[in-house]
Amino acid sequence: MAPDYVELHCHSAYSFLDGVAQPEELVDRACALGYTALALTDHDNLCAALPFAHAATAAGLRAITGCELTVEVDGEAHHLVLLVESRAGYTNLCRLITAAHAGTRAADGTVARLPSVRLEDVLTHAEGLTCLTGCPDHGVLRSDDPLVARTRRDLLLEAFGDRLAVELQRPFRQGAERQLRAFERLARERRIPVVATNDVHLHLRRRGPLQDVLVAIRQHASLDACTALLRGNREHVLKVPGELVALFADLPEAVAETRSIAERCGFDLTQSLGYRPPERENDADRELKELCELHLDARYPASSPWRQEAVERLATELVLIRRHELAGFFLLHREILELARDVALEIRGTDAARNVLPPGRGRGSSVGSIVCYLTGLSHIDPVAGRLSLGRFLNEELASTPDIDLDFPRDIRAELIRRIHTHYGDQQAALVGAFATYRAKGAIREIGKALALPAGDIARLAAASDGWSAEAVGEELQRVPGLRDRADDRRLRLLATLCGQIAGLPRHLSQHPGGMIVSDRPLCELVPLQPAAMAGRTICQWDKDAVADAGFLKIDLLGLGMLSAVERCVSEIHRSTGSSVDLSRVPLDDAAVYADIQAADTVGVFQIESRAQMQTLLRVQPTCLDDLVVEVALVRPGPIQGGAVNPYIQRRMARRADPTIPIPYEHPLLEEPLRETLGVIIFQDQVLDVAQALAGFTPGQAEALRRAMSRRRSRAGLEAQWLAFAAGAEERGVPDHVARTVFQQILAFSAFGFPKSHSAAFALLAYQSAWLRHHHPAAFLCALLMEQPMGFYPPASLIRDAERRDVPVLPVDLHHSHVEARCEGAHAVRLGLRQVVGLGEEDAAAIVAERDAGGPFPDVRSLANRLDLPTQRLQRLIAAGACDALGPRRQLLWELGLAARPLGQGTGSQLAFDLQVGEAPQGLPEPGAWELLVSDYATTGVSVREHPIRQLRPLLGDDLLDSAQLALLPHGAPVVIPGLAVARQRPASAKGIVFLLLEDEHGLFNLVLMPDVYEEHRLLARSEPLLLVRGTLEHRERQVTVRVESLAPLDLPTRRALPTEADVQQLRSVAPPPQHFAQGRRRA
Amino acid sequence: MSASLRPIPSQTPRACCVQVDGSGRPDNVDGCVVEAVREEWRIEEGWWGVPCRRRCFALALADGRICTVYEDRRSGQWWRYGA
Repeated sequence: MAPDYVELHCHSAYSFLDGVAQPEELVDRACALGYTALALTDHDNLCAALPFAHAATAAGLRAITGCELTVEVDGEAHHLVLLVESRAGYTNLCRLITAAHAGTRAADGTVARLPSVRLEDVLTHAEGLTCLTGCPDHGVLRSDDPLVARTRRDLLLEAFGDRLAVELQRPFRQGAERQLRAFERLARERRIPVVATNDVHLHLRRRGPLQDVLVAIRQHASLDACTALLRGNREHVLKVPGELVALFADLPEAVAETRSIAERCGFDLTQSLGYRPPERENDADRELKELCELHLDARYPASSPWRQEAVERLATELVLIRRHELAGFFLLHREILELARDVALEIRGTDAARNVLPPGRGRGSSVGSIVCYLTGLSHIDPVAGRLSLGRFLNEELASTPDIDLDFPRDIRAELIRRIHTHYGDQQAALVGAFATYRAKGAIREIGKALALPAGDIARLAAASDGWSAEAVGEELQRVPGLRDRADDRRLRLLATLCGQIAGLPRHLSQHPGGMIVSDRPLCELVPLQPAAMAGRTICQWDKDAVADAGFLKIDLLGLGMLSAVERCVSEIHRSTGSSVDLSRVPLDDAAVYADIQAADTVGVFQIESRAQMQTLLRVQPTCLDDLVVEVALVRPGPIQGGAVNPYIQRRMARRADPTIPIPYEHPLLEEPLRETLGVIIFQDQVLDVAQALAGFTPGQAEALRRAMSRRRSRAGLEAQWLAFAAGAEERGVPDHVARTVFQQILAFSAFGFPKSHSAAFALLAYQSAWLRHHHPAAFLCALLMEQPMGFYPPASLIRDAERRDVPVLPVDLHHSHVEARCEGAHAVRLGLRQVVGLGEEDAAAIVAERDAGGPFPDVRSLANRLDLPTQRLQRLIAAGACDALGPRRQLLWELGLAARPLGQGTGSQLAFDLQVGEAPQGLPEPGAWELLVSDYATTGVSVREHPIRQLRPLLGDDLLDSAQLALLPHGAPVVIPGLAVARQRPASAKGIVFLLLEDEHGLFNLVLMPDVYEEHRLLARSEPLLLVRGTLEHRERQVTVRVESLAPLDLPTRRALPTEADVQQLRSVAPPPQHFAQGRRRA
Repeated sequence: MSASLRPIPSQTPRACCVQVDGSGRPDNVDGCVVEAVREEWRIEEGWWGVPCRRRCFALALADGRICTVYEDRRSGQWWRYGA
């Protein structure tokens, strides 16, 4: 028999810092406790509503969609719970939540107010919704004045009628019973039903401390400081239904009402919401066919060797598109590309050099489609490139495929605004994404809640690998100074709580590029809220929920290298007058491949990382096809699938003897794996292998890939294996071979590129390598302008360019422009924007004043003519930008005494141009080391002598430098100093850590085995200046130091400058090493 | 939603002897029959420092007195405020 009680007021972690359970955990717990239905009512959002509904349906639990809405009444924020009965009710709830969030962001993106909706709005959107009056403390009926409470009750009653219930809770708090009786009286007076709820915030009682911590995090305070705001007990847990029945034994009608409301709320969110993309006036199939045929002759003229194949492929694709009713989907993307073209024209202006470039490029599996190629949605010829279609489009398509488009950042930013305008703010929105807790954030926030010493928090955060917060407990065992305090209760609590908070959502943010557009207001389908960036709207669902709801997602991705390439082309044109058409650069430039083969690729798209460089040395790419493989090779999929080393070894063997046979697991795999020498490197090869070995259809094969990649379920994989094994057996494949290949597919599933995606990226990789080789100065300018991007900090990019004979000139008040620019034949002049603390507007103002009024003869002129705060002028001087005007210390002295006109600077000086005389004589000028430290502190880069070169004379004679490493034999002992540039601890490397160090001659690689890393963890993670002892490893052109010990670079105190104190200064300002696994990206 | 807990009366509590019924609610305090349990509340806080776990009851005793008792859930000891 079904229990009498249904929980109708329940929060998940998506109430953001007011709930600890993932929706799936609530479902599991509810099922275990014997519930047959459960409502999810997060604060002011439906973020988890869809995953909750799907998880519940799969588990046989009926999901009730709802929300605890914040309502503004009489100037106070109150809560009420709205539960969805019907489609109309769902629409009303979405509209109300959207209204609650309207205006919550100020123009600068900061939070302007918390979400809330007026009670009047709720009353006019009551249709299809059941209303519960909320909790004892914040419920809408809570008022010290009974008349006020009655007035609100009557308003709700008039709007909701018999769909209103007064909520009663027994939270076991002192005074709650009196409040319950007051609510009960309000209900009885008007014969309104009462309903029992438990305002659930925990799925397990033992998670109570985490809920308390979330409250403290929300309050930015310690637990001690916000005790009064905590719940005080753990009764707000999801309880056994019978417990609530017993608790309300004196009010059985309140329990019975939960069931009748649950029966009334039959709306099923997993069913179609009626979404449709914007409709087209014409026959979309015919329009798309005509568009493709229009471009077919130009792309594949009669003389083309690919003509016949292209015609056949187009016919096949158009049939599939018609069958899946996707013509409108393609045309919509085409329409957005046309919008992008308009935007690009406006942004690029009259810059002829950039105007020859397309507004964007395709990436991902859609690059394999000839329809995308012909409609401009891809720039890669799929026929000539032998790109397969099945991953993108096949007979048994399970969901709408993705067409991903890359744009330069400036075009993308404007395009998003333009799409909102074009389709209407109500009908376009960005897809949401949830920022979740990882190790460092968890350590900092929970540490603060527990009032741990700031030093302990900082030390642990610095030592943490930053992955899952679940690992914090283990990491604590390894941090010197903390590992010895095993009996420290708060540290133990920190570890436990970090484990519990791991993966919980912290807030809603925006997906990097996904947008949805609709033929009707989106706020009827999913709640919307303003993004931090003005003019943008986010929907409350992430990409998975959007896909589950059947919404069409358009991916508009910002690609830093695309921006950099455009900047580079512009800078070449500006500085030399020549135009570069990237679509026409030769793809077989031997000099470019020589760089690539030598792994001289710092700054090159996709092939600049340590792992890529080491692979380049072994693979020795000689053509674009090789780069296509290279780009896909160093990925978790091929690495975990065990494909990398076999591929490289076979490649090297083939280079020595082109006739050497390639071993295949089975002859049936020869065709799909020929180009990758018998191993799976591309994602689409998973599909090809499944078809060849097990006879899967393209649709079945794609289903296999999806089963492995998203929300893996053991049952799902088991079913796939059985089908695979059966198919292989039918084809005479031995069981052990089928098993081996299936395991390879399974291992591959972590992450891999489809060949089409790799082809798109390989072309950009080559183009960037070409620009770097032939226009190194312009290329460096472009990279500096587009920071942050790529894997190296600007300081390393500059050192790399200098080593390739590109002189880099410092920031100069009289020569620098806003951004870095080419100067003279081959040099680069750093831009004023490089000065930290000087914004783009400030830099532009300096350049404008210089152009209008001529050079600045002295500091007084600088101070008078520029409306900049004194501190920014001080930074300009400290950065060396004013060195032409005199010694820095003298300039700073003069600036302090210079008159500033009213309204300028701080305004604290009188506007009299007093003659203050000259600075005192004999102010000591900064030495070379001091200048270096000042460079890093004020610009993050330095064009002076490398710090290691300056230190080397003080370090002793027995230390090596990176130029000597290549000359030493394998196994030679090594002691070498260096500046940390990057570190990497790949998940696939079994605890091995890679460090990249730099000295005056270049970069060199360190390998730290797990035991060495653990011993030197803090140093490896946070010390910029290192002294390394180890053994040289020389393998197949790779030179690596296998580390035995690390030490901070200590200086003998008896020596002359720089002293240890000076080095300490550099430590505090040196650019932080990059983490290879993360890169540095911006949207 | 969360609310601050009202402090327990500030007198020093004294140990007492409580007999409970099947549901753990007091039915006798220091030999005096409990006439009514006016309210029950539970406290579980301070877990990060000095943990406090109590089950508290506001009682009307058969002799007309009102008192508050609580069970320290960590030690099992009952304590009493009031007359």
